[in-house]
Amino acid sequence: MNSRERFFATVERRPVDRPAAWLGMPDIKAQPALFAHYGVKDMHELKLAVGDDFYAVEVPYQSPTSTAIYAAFDWYMDNNVDAEERTLTADGCFKDAEDEEDLAFFHWPDPVRYIDVEECRRRVALAPADKVRLAMCWSAHFQDTCASFGMETALMNMLANPEIYQAVDEKIVDFYLKANEIFYEATKGQLDAVLIGNDMGSQRGLMLSPQCVRDFIIPGSRKLIEQAHSYGLKVIYHSCGSIVDVIPDLIEAGVDVIHPIQALAAGMEPANLKEKFAGKVSFCGGVDTQDLLVNGTPEMVRAKVRELRTLFPTGLILSPSHEAIMQDVPPANIHALFEEAQTVY
Amino acid sequence: MAAAMIEEISQFLQKGRAKNVKQLVEQALEEGIDPKEILNDGLLSGMMVIGGKFKRNEVFVPEVLVAARAMNAGVSVLEPHLVEAGNEPLGKAVVGTVKGDLHDIGKNLVIMMMKGAGFEIYDLGTDVDAATFVDKAEEVGADVIGMSALLTTTMPNMKEVIDVLKERGLREKYIVMVGGAPVNEQFAEEIGADYYTADATSAAEVAKAAVERRRVG
Repeated sequence: MNSRERFFATVERRPVDRPAAWLGMPDIKAQPALFAHYGVKDMHELKLAVGDDFYAVEVPYQSPTSTAIYAAFDWYMDNNVDAEERTLTADGCFKDAEDEEDLAFFHWPDPVRYIDVEECRRRVALAPADKVRLAMCWSAHFQDTCASFGMETALMNMLANPEIYQAVDEKIVDFYLKANEIFYEATKGQLDAVLIGNDMGSQRGLMLSPQCVRDFIIPGSRKLIEQAHSYGLKVIYHSCGSIVDVIPDLIEAGVDVIHPIQALAAGMEPANLKEKFAGKVSFCGGVDTQDLLVNGTPEMVRAKVRELRTLFPTGLILSPSHEAIMQDVPPANIHALFEEAQTVY
Repeated sequence: MAAAMIEEISQFLQKGRAKNVKQLVEQALEEGIDPKEILNDGLLSGMMVIGGKFKRNEVFVPEVLVAARAMNAGVSVLEPHLVEAGNEPLGKAVVGTVKGDLHDIGKNLVIMMMKGAGFEIYDLGTDVDAATFVDKAEEVGADVIGMSALLTTTMPNMKEVIDVLKERGLREKYIVMVGGAPVNEQFAEEIGADYYTADATSAAEVAKAAVERRRVG
């Protein structure tokens, strides 16, 4: 099987020669050690050297205030969308908004102006033909809506003023639908999957009630999922933390793969997920980044991969339990993860 | 009559109805109810009910936030009367997210719950260096130093705070608590913290018990 065949078989829970495996998106601070370990000079070479089944492509976005689609909105009205300089709960420009007319002052970016169609094609063309071509669209409308008000105000609005919360969320979802359409159209027939999502879990459970997730997150996500499916793409849906209580809702909304299995979060133990959702959805992740990959030995990592492969003969894309591998993960552990995942028993 | 009104304050707080809480606290004061009773049996007890439900995943962050907002609305009315009555907080705590880490949702929840338990809180914010934790604790006469981290790469900075306390001969003066997604009991022990708790409500409960134990001696 090549990577694409293996991916589709994994997602559709058909037999595989060995599981598909995804490196994720190593943090920029983690990259030098990985490059040195594998003797490569950039991310493109790293993906190939690791033997990643995936080739992730980020949507090119360049506006006066942002160089990344996931930071497209200037919620702080200061031309600085750098997440490194601000907390998640910092007040956004809609902090005091109560009615839809209070949103009128904001400049909503038009993705047509800021996504270069040729650059979309160029990036996807770099992907080797046998790799899973994964669009990193994120489209994190819940997180953006939180940022637009400030997270605490947004969450309180869900209960106290749901109309204003939903008005902002709808505008954000519309932006992402338009942006994704540009990307999907430009690369039509050359993509296999898309990753979208919203962080809605904490270590010990959901941040929101399952009902709030159904009322405020699923509707927008469903539109994004349906759009991706209309282009023939498999949908990998990301949320950090424990989201076990809303996986049925994500399945119902059409999600093909739940990402990640954050193995140490409550209820996200791989065995529990298999018991609850076997045959209904596929997963990605499972190799813990909160302890094992940071503090464990390569042999411990191999043992975990073997355990996961036994538990999920198919239906699981092996991957670190958080896509952004940090600089405290020894490259030898990543090497061990991939070697064991790639072994055909 | 007073008991019924105080119970009503607690109920409105649990529903996150700030305006009702404020109004009822004003009314209770007018009727001569002891401000400490309004605080302890109305506002703080209501917040502890929410805390218990949060710990059991019966309510979630939005419900805690609106309840905390309602508590703050009540406390702001009550504060001058509490000062007049010589009310002392249960204890003082400095709380922050450690150096290199900007994640503050968990830290803010801990603060809400600790306020709900009767603590006076000094919020140091995020990306707080070790010396700042210790300096502020010394300045305000804190009982508790609470540290949060979400990243495995910033967890080691918790130990730096403990090292600074040791260097200055202050380690035994403070109750040191740690928490955050990747933090666990074993890590807390390794770095020499006094307590790890897995959620915000437990943090408030453990801090309260620890301070009370110290007072008893």
